[in-house]
Amino acid sequence: MNVTYNWLKEFVDFDETPDELAALLTMLGLEVESMEKLGAGMDDVVVALVEEKRQHPNADKLSLCRVNNGTEVLDVVCGAQNFKQGDTVVLAQTGAVLPGDFKIKRSKIRGEESCGMLCSEKELGLAEESAGIIVLPPAFAPLGTPIFAALGLKDTLFEIGLTPNRSDCLSVIGIARDIAAKLGLKVKYPQTALVEGPEAVGSVIGVTIENPDICPRYAARYISGCTIAPSPEWLVKRLNAIGIRSINNVVDVTNLVMMEVGQPLHAFDCDRLSEKRIVVRAAGDGELFTTLDNQPRVLTAGDLVICDAERPVALAGVMGGLNSEIEGTTTTILLESAFFKPAAIRKTAKRLGLHTESSHRFERGIDIDNVTRALDRAASLIVELAGGVMALGCLDVYPGKSERAAIPFRPEKANELIGINLERQLIIDILTRLECLVTECPDGSVTVIPPHYRIDIEREIDLIEEIARLNGYDKIPATMPVARVVSDRPTRHQEIEKQLRNLLVNNGMTEIINFSFTAPEAAGKLLLNDNDPRRLAIRLANPLVDEQSVMRTTLLPGLLETTAKNMSFRSLDLKLFEMRRVYLPGEGEDMPHEPLCIVGALSGSRDGDGWSRPNELVDFYDAKGIVETVLDFLDIGGVTWVNDNPEPYFHPGKSCRILAGRDCIGSVGELHPTVQKNFEIEKPVFCFELDFEKLVKYSRTKKTITAPSRFPDSTRDIALLIPDELAAAKIVDCIKAEKAKEIEHVQIFDVYRGKGVAEGYKSVAVRIRYRSFERTLADEEISSLHNKIVASLTDKLQITVR
Amino acid sequence: MREQLEQLRTGALQSIATAASVEQLQEIRINLLGRKGELTALMKGLGSLDASERPIVGQLVNTVRDVIESALGGAIKAAEEKAIAVRLQSERIDTSLPGRHPLKGTKHPISLVIEEICSIFAGLGFSVAEGPEIEHDWYNFEALNFPPEHPARDMQDTFFVENNLLLRTHTSPVQIRTMLKQKPPVRIIAPGTVYRCDSDATHSPMFHQIEGLMVDSGVTFGDLKGILTVFTNQLFGQKTGVRLRPSYFPFTEPSAEVDIACVICGGKGCRVCKNSGWLEILGAGMVDPEVYRHVQYDAEDISGFAFGMGIERIAMLKYGISDMRLLFENDVRFLRQF
Ligand SMILES: [Zn+2]
Repeated sequence: MNVTYNWLKEFVDFDETPDELAALLTMLGLEVESMEKLGAGMDDVVVALVEEKRQHPNADKLSLCRVNNGTEVLDVVCGAQNFKQGDTVVLAQTGAVLPGDFKIKRSKIRGEESCGMLCSEKELGLAEESAGIIVLPPAFAPLGTPIFAALGLKDTLFEIGLTPNRSDCLSVIGIARDIAAKLGLKVKYPQTALVEGPEAVGSVIGVTIENPDICPRYAARYISGCTIAPSPEWLVKRLNAIGIRSINNVVDVTNLVMMEVGQPLHAFDCDRLSEKRIVVRAAGDGELFTTLDNQPRVLTAGDLVICDAERPVALAGVMGGLNSEIEGTTTTILLESAFFKPAAIRKTAKRLGLHTESSHRFERGIDIDNVTRALDRAASLIVELAGGVMALGCLDVYPGKSERAAIPFRPEKANELIGINLERQLIIDILTRLECLVTECPDGSVTVIPPHYRIDIEREIDLIEEIARLNGYDKIPATMPVARVVSDRPTRHQEIEKQLRNLLVNNGMTEIINFSFTAPEAAGKLLLNDNDPRRLAIRLANPLVDEQSVMRTTLLPGLLETTAKNMSFRSLDLKLFEMRRVYLPGEGEDMPHEPLCIVGALSGSRDGDGWSRPNELVDFYDAKGIVETVLDFLDIGGVTWVNDNPEPYFHPGKSCRILAGRDCIGSVGELHPTVQKNFEIEKPVFCFELDFEKLVKYSRTKKTITAPSRFPDSTRDIALLIPDELAAAKIVDCIKAEKAKEIEHVQIFDVYRGKGVAEGYKSVAVRIRYRSFERTLADEEISSLHNKIVASLTDKLQITVR
Repeated sequence: MREQLEQLRTGALQSIATAASVEQLQEIRINLLGRKGELTALMKGLGSLDASERPIVGQLVNTVRDVIESALGGAIKAAEEKAIAVRLQSERIDTSLPGRHPLKGTKHPISLVIEEICSIFAGLGFSVAEGPEIEHDWYNFEALNFPPEHPARDMQDTFFVENNLLLRTHTSPVQIRTMLKQKPPVRIIAPGTVYRCDSDATHSPMFHQIEGLMVDSGVTFGDLKGILTVFTNQLFGQKTGVRLRPSYFPFTEPSAEVDIACVICGGKGCRVCKNSGWLEILGAGMVDPEVYRHVQYDAEDISGFAFGMGIERIAMLKYGISDMRLLFENDVRFLRQF
């Protein structure tokens, strides 16, 4: 809602400056989103007198002027022809800044000094086009008066962001009312002096409402013999100031009154209305109608139309029709002022995508009491500006006059909820200033009838809000609640989520956050099988773009896109993770599942480039290492790594699923070369994915801690030659299976293929650390135990010791 | 014997004095005092002496041994010190070369801000609640007093999913879920992801909010102001000015927008605060009785407040980020700065 300072001041006599008024409005909940001081920076554009005008010696089309600005006489070169010596003109002096950031400087034009510029309306931003410079009436204002002040154009435009509940403030009067209530002033409502002709309105026009449920009130006036013409200067300027284009005197009046009092009005060319009759009715399904923007519209049964005796002439509350609009030749006018139910107008406007100043107000609810007042005001203004005669009386069809219900109100409840302690009388005064009818009963109870225009006030709580608002939120003391302690510990899920995020970050991983929606093609790019459940994604009915049209079922596409994007920026050393939800459809009527998942991607250098060591690239075991760190942290035991049934997006030979017991809790592997290509990733990537819910399920809350042994250790190494296809982990498993309590630790410390090792074999070096909790082990003791283990290995795994 | 001892002493001291390294000195010690050393051999010869001479010579042997040991000890210490000095003199590295460090990991700024806000509210006695992102219309709108076809729904452009489901447009449905699950007192905050079909420099179709809810007997609007003042002071620094001004949300009444004094210009006015000196960071208000009706709370017995804030906005203010899109581009050159 746009409103100007001067316009508001016509209705309330406040002393506040524009800045103070902006602060006051904002603190009333009418947020001033922007403020534009009209004519700001134009104080150096002043009224001046041309004392002398002669031909420029070096240019035919220029003249040399001596211009008096009230304090001195300046030389000015001018190119305009439409003025003479002795004219009062507008001078932009050096230092002035005209619209378009045009700075006026002292200059030489064709060898002659010029200390300013004589301005046209266009140059001052007062008109779109202008023929020459402004020539003011003689003695228009004292010489040197800033022109914006002299023209009465010095004003401030406020752009107010209204919340949807404050439909009453969609007018200058509405905003003025709130200012008056806050400051304890009276609103000066516009006075309308009706001048009516002898002819009774009912004898000329007729109004029938077929759907009073949607149109409870319809009022009309009739004016004949008027002349359509451009609006006078003041009206054009007033509308321009708030961003409305002038059309003609009649349409401009309807717009002016709408902005002034909030009642949308419509003027019909009455001669174009069949039988000069108005019928308000529901549209037929599929009925066609052309709105005055020359767009054909197909209506549905829910729409309300204003018709004449034969056909629709307006789309009620939204837009008039081309067939009945005011034209240059119009002489008779039927002026409509009505109340339409918000929901119906909203539905029509929304369906047609037709949002107008009128529909905006009806959708939010207007003041049903104001219908005829606004009509009278507009009708008399039309007669004033366009001439003609207004028929006697107002045709007001208002079958069931609506009354507002009284609201029981407890002043002490207001104090209690807000946390203040206002006198009962002050509370009642505030409501009275808001034009509420407050009744105090002898038993001390209070009832309040709010004004019609405050459709947002229906309950006691709405009145309490008004007390808080008008008294001022800034006057409410900040207190700390005295309340029972209810804080719970974070849930296990929350705790583990936080811990894992810390753990991954501490392991060099950078957290990313991708959009939850993805492209439907993502599943295909991951090479998922046709029957893979991850292909069953939840679709958005109204996505912004196709690439964001389904809810992700896996975090991988986002991770891989991020990887590709970073590589394209030459960030090649990547350790990324995302820990977010995926969205899986529920069974039948069930809600979708939104389990938390973790994915990670590693690529490029392991530790970053450096001067002191070879630049080693990450591989499968770096990704697996991160997963092991997570599993170890959560104390998840009994995990096996199997590559029997690999994920389709991983390299089948370099990936595995992670099983806790027999339950798959995730997978790790090198990205499949085709998937890498599908996502346009330049370098090999190693990924892992973990099911967070299962991690929580298998994590052990209580770690078992043992005191370390105080006796010395002893290590023995074995080098084993094993077939390539035998998993090296089997050796460790086999050693551990011996369950010798003296074995403290078993570790594979080298794997070797190549020279000296037969084709199809690998050499695996294992180090066993022996230690007892009870005593120092003797060499012989260890040797015999070690030999036993070696024998068992060669026996059970059919392998040879090198 | 005496002469032998004297010779041994002189010879020993001489060779100690000329020894060049710790190793040579150790060798001398073994040769003289070791199990097969010269002095040890002499001592073994004591037994063949007269009983009367034995104590005297024995004493002499001890004296010589002490003299040699002390000379050796001194010489070894000196040699060690010299060796260290030589080593320190000769060893030099270029300390200007960069150190070795593993690749740094960082949390996403959204996570950082959520963690910080949750920990502030944990200190104020609020626990964390969660709810689904794909939500029923009833929880997202109706129970929060947004009737169907209400203009307030225009404030939130909604992504729809079939079966009356939608992507939640705010974290407020968690209020409803929490109140339906438990009786007062309630004191929760709910961080989460929310969605609106809107995308430009200042709007992202996905963003994050934190919702707060406190319901108990006798909770006032002043309490809301108190809690939010403590919160903003902790988040943005002590004595950050806080301003509540009237606003409208269907599920709170009275409602407020909460502004803080601009953290960029300190309230003097700048581009970020559009010259107002204030930054809007929160929406808040007293829970509307209509909401209590939907969760079967009796509005006459209890009262409470709710608030909600956008995480992206706070992250942008805290870290001086001007374009929201940076937060979701996941460029590691950006993310690694946190
Ligand atoms: Zn600022």
